[in-house]
Amino acid sequence: MKNLWFKRLFGSITVKLIGIGGERIINELIRHHVVIWNVKKLQEGELKFQMFIKDVSHLRKAVRIHRVKVRFIKRGGFPYWLKRLRRNTGLFIGALVAFIIITLLSNMIWKIEIKGASPELEYKMMNQLKQMGVKVGGFQFLVDDPEGIQRKLTAMNEDVTWIGVELNGTSYHFQVVEKEQPEEVEKTSPRHLVAKKEAVIVDYFVEKGEPVVTINDFVKPGQLLVSGLIGREDDKQKVSAKGKILGKTWYTTEVEVDLTTEFELLTGEEWEQMTLDFGNFSIPIWGFSTTKYKHEKVEKNKKELKFFKWTLPVAITSKTVKEVEIHTKSYKKEEARKLALEIAKKDLQKTVPEEAKILDEKILHEKEENGKLKLLISYDVIENIAKEAPIIQEEQED
Amino acid sequence: MAKKWKQKIQRWLTKQLDLPEDVMMDFPRITMVGQLHIYIENHRGLLTFSDREVRVLLSQGQLLVKGEGFVIKTMWPEELILEGKIEQVLYINE
Repeated sequence: MKNLWFKRLFGSITVKLIGIGGERIINELIRHHVVIWNVKKLQEGELKFQMFIKDVSHLRKAVRIHRVKVRFIKRGGFPYWLKRLRRNTGLFIGALVAFIIITLLSNMIWKIEIKGASPELEYKMMNQLKQMGVKVGGFQFLVDDPEGIQRKLTAMNEDVTWIGVELNGTSYHFQVVEKEQPEEVEKTSPRHLVAKKEAVIVDYFVEKGEPVVTINDFVKPGQLLVSGLIGREDDKQKVSAKGKILGKTWYTTEVEVDLTTEFELLTGEEWEQMTLDFGNFSIPIWGFSTTKYKHEKVEKNKKELKFFKWTLPVAITSKTVKEVEIHTKSYKKEEARKLALEIAKKDLQKTVPEEAKILDEKILHEKEENGKLKLLISYDVIENIAKEAPIIQEEQED
Repeated sequence: MAKKWKQKIQRWLTKQLDLPEDVMMDFPRITMVGQLHIYIENHRGLLTFSDREVRVLLSQGQLLVKGEGFVIKTMWPEELILEGKIEQVLYINE
């Protein structure tokens, strides 16, 4: 009560009492627990002070007992400020409407650009996007986030290798890489084929050029496999060597498998919540459940509001909390080994070229430590080991 | 007579139990900050007020404050803060 900062909030008035005995009015007010401040004597028989608007009725009663003239001089504080504001409603509404319009426009989609797609694919994608709500004039907060659009588009278009989606302000940019690139007319310069890596030649198929190795030859990286110089000894012609040299190569892979693994299973119990966020402060507007699960998985999707290029600290977040159960699974050694081999094979398939064939696998080393099974596996792989190498000028002059 | 007896007992009790006098005996508590402020607690109302002289009713007697440019900064039912240049503080016992 000592601090009167809130006098601004409640609104106060300045009162002038004219007449003898203003003190009696003040005493009367005080008796009714009315707070007054800034009491000043202006001249004989004139008293000025301030009080809360809510206490004016007490003043009226007091005046009825002690006859003095009362003048209200000044009004101040929040209620009056609000009143004054109401007088300027038009301006206020205008500013608000402008703000809303700009905010809406900032959250609209103004441009969709598709790059790298053929005209028909572009048309198809445009239609798909329209179905998803991504169209000029649509609202950004009504469509999926770029990752979601990317996922959907990729799923819908089988003939596309990759689609990059980028949201840049109010425009969406799509970068498309099609699978079937028009076959380029190969215009190759004269070249040899050399070995890419250490291998034993298993088979070869040469279209152009002269093979200099045969089956069961052991080659080292960089070793000449097919020469691009053909013809008689004295009259050699340069050609662009072309062909496949299949060689047996070796890969070693190390894998580690935990003998006990933990994995999460959704139980199906879940609750959803929508919140309106202002900065770090969020107000729930949908879903008030606060059920705490022992183990839970939270999925959050935040949609932020934009104003021009800035992101406003206002966002709508939808949250799904799912209950999960944690299960542990332990493997026997044989199972773990089998799993390790599977993992290793998958890893290998990622590193070797697509047409490579895995011939054989051998476990070189097996070790169990810290609840983990470590395997060192060697693979025999048949793959194309040919690599183009330009014919060096000196060689030709010889 | 009864009032005097009550006062006597109060005074005796306060002395014996070593209690603060202002709480027990309904005395005013007056705090001054230099000549600038005077803070009067436990008053009984304002008698006269002008920019040179303020007279405040107490539970027993009155308090007269003299000075220049007085403004009552705030006034509550039992407290008041007076601002200005304080020159004299007088107790008046009737």
